[in-house]
Amino acid sequence: MTFKIDRRDLLKASGAIAATLAAPSILRAQAATVKVGVIEPLTGNLAYNGTQSAAGAKFAADAINAAGGIKSMGGAKIELVVVDAQSRPEAAASAVDTLVQAGACAFTGATASALGLASSQAAAKHNLAQVFSIGTAETIVQRGLPNVFRFTPGVNKCTSVALTNLKLLNEGSGNSVKTAAIVHEDGPFGSNMAKIMKEELPKQGIEVVETISHPTPQRDFSNIALRVKASKADILIPSNYLNEYTLMARALNQQRVELKAIYSILGGAASNIKFVRENQEVAQYVMDCNHWYDPTKEESKALAAKVADAKLDLTYDIMVSYATIQVIADALERAASDDRQKMIEALAASTFDGSIMPYGPTKFVNGDNVNSQPVNTQIRGDKIELVFPKEYASAEAVFPIPAKN
Amino acid sequence: MRLNSVGQIALVAAAIAYLLGVYFASSPVWMGFTINALIVAVIALSWNITGGFGGLSSFGHAAMYGTGAYASAILQVKFGLNAWIGFGAGILAGAAMGAFIGALAFRYGLRGSYFALVTLAFAEVLRICASSFEFTGGGSGLQLTLAPGIGNLQINDRTVVYTALLIVVAAVMALTALIKFSRFGAYLIAVRENEDAARALGIDTYKIKVQAMAISGAFGGLAGVLYLQLWLFIDSTVVYGSAVSVEALIGPIIGGAGTVWGPLLGTLGLHLLGEGAKHLLPNAPGLNFVLYAIVLICALRFLPQGLVGLAGRVGPFKKKENDNA
Repeated sequence: MTFKIDRRDLLKASGAIAATLAAPSILRAQAATVKVGVIEPLTGNLAYNGTQSAAGAKFAADAINAAGGIKSMGGAKIELVVVDAQSRPEAAASAVDTLVQAGACAFTGATASALGLASSQAAAKHNLAQVFSIGTAETIVQRGLPNVFRFTPGVNKCTSVALTNLKLLNEGSGNSVKTAAIVHEDGPFGSNMAKIMKEELPKQGIEVVETISHPTPQRDFSNIALRVKASKADILIPSNYLNEYTLMARALNQQRVELKAIYSILGGAASNIKFVRENQEVAQYVMDCNHWYDPTKEESKALAAKVADAKLDLTYDIMVSYATIQVIADALERAASDDRQKMIEALAASTFDGSIMPYGPTKFVNGDNVNSQPVNTQIRGDKIELVFPKEYASAEAVFPIPAKN
Repeated sequence: MRLNSVGQIALVAAAIAYLLGVYFASSPVWMGFTINALIVAVIALSWNITGGFGGLSSFGHAAMYGTGAYASAILQVKFGLNAWIGFGAGILAGAAMGAFIGALAFRYGLRGSYFALVTLAFAEVLRICASSFEFTGGGSGLQLTLAPGIGNLQINDRTVVYTALLIVVAAVMALTALIKFSRFGAYLIAVRENEDAARALGIDTYKIKVQAMAISGAFGGLAGVLYLQLWLFIDSTVVYGSAVSVEALIGPIIGGAGTVWGPLLGTLGLHLLGEGAKHLLPNAPGLNFVLYAIVLICALRFLPQGLVGLAGRVGPFKKKENDNA
């Protein structure tokens, strides 16, 4: 038996084989995904914040995918690779290995400076970009690492803006606040903040009449509240974490301490809706200078609705994590590739101004977004309103607090 | 380092096969995870000297670990000294801290749970001090300048880091074996078994215990310095936190306290268990800690001599011989 294959048959067969071989790649192209890492502490003492941040990243990825994915990559969907940093620096650094193995092009994280310092250093060895959600320590952007991009403000900017805003508020109220009491936790965060306040407040004409430190954890704030009351301070400036902040506020209320304002910087509870929900009366008019989104943007409103549907607390962790995924998505759009080096270059050249945060166009100088800014929030009723700066405000600041009697 | 049964040989062979297999797995995840486990193994070996051989169960080995790390970091960050000098100083500082805690605790005859509580208190006091003083970086901790190079003891190549750590762990285990089978080791075991009887036989138990704490402290300091050089950042909670002290004792207890291989086997086993749980159930963060707890409870209940003791019952070469792995 003999087979005769003519030129026409050969062409047909070749065409059929080529089409068959190409089919999987066409299918792959249609279902392409691009992997973006999320390193957050899902366990350990930072688990609450880390879980919130991971949820924020997921909301952002879902929104971007629903809007058509990364268009320059044929509508590639963002696939998040979430890894637990266990609230430990070495675990955060090891998590980078998981991302590299999974093929992530960049990642966001990691809630605490210590975790972010370790993860970004490990990522530098793999040329993998980290867009910091929260990392206030200034050393993060002082190491000269090309893969570091801090989207949100550091502690220096937060403190400086907070003091400027306090001055404006006080001047607006006819300098009604003349004396201050500082209550701080005795760790680095609280101690450093208290030191800055003691140096800077007198320059604004506010005398610091009482400074009280306490350990973390601390459960009984009665004596501290009484000391604040005895000091007759006009304003209280607390620097402590969520639980202590809550207990302190309750003790102040129980001891009927009359204050013209409670004003915190990167406050542990003052920008946490859980604190508002569980301490309605106590929390009223508490002011904070912290990370917060622009509530006037449509995407912010959509996020707030999704967070409510998911029965989660709308905290700044969710907001900043959402925004960092937006920044990464923008870089992906411009890089049109998930190549790590191209992502670093795209992030370094970022002028993105479509995030939910109240920032100007992104501009990274030595890895620090110079156009980021903290805002002032104030608890009003069952909401946290943005009161400063005016262009983003959702409510007018109430300063000083109206007298209870 | 004698192995007395087929089971022990199989267990040790499995551990060696795993450690060598990491080279061929070409997986950054397994390499990174094993690097972390090896550093923990060093502090577990440190705890084993006092807790395993001497019966001096410490709940505060973080005191030595943290002191080693902080001593090296302060010398490098605040005084600009070379990392190798910091490396040596860290080990010495760990030894000094161990000797100091030992001298103070044993001077007043503390033993058992009282000794455990004192070591825990020391670690906590040091943690609070480290987070309060400016020269220790306060709450912000200390960060080494990133300057890769062997001169700065900062190695970028993970395979080289892994090999170096394997050598360090092997060296610490060799020293442990040397101690175990030396006269000093015999004295230490005598103290564990019956301190009064040991003293009656003329052993200076105070001196032996303080020396054991110093050696243990040196190993602990070494582990702290290794951590520092690997991650280039420490703060008070990271190196003086109670998690470090727990990790130091949990490996030897699971693996087999008072044996040469036990701390390494226990640490590797626990870390493998945790990592395996994370991979099998990626949507259940924290499950590895639950598994840790279950394994620890089971080990305490059913394996008083740890994995090495269990393996010793499988195909023993001689009857009525103690585990020597």
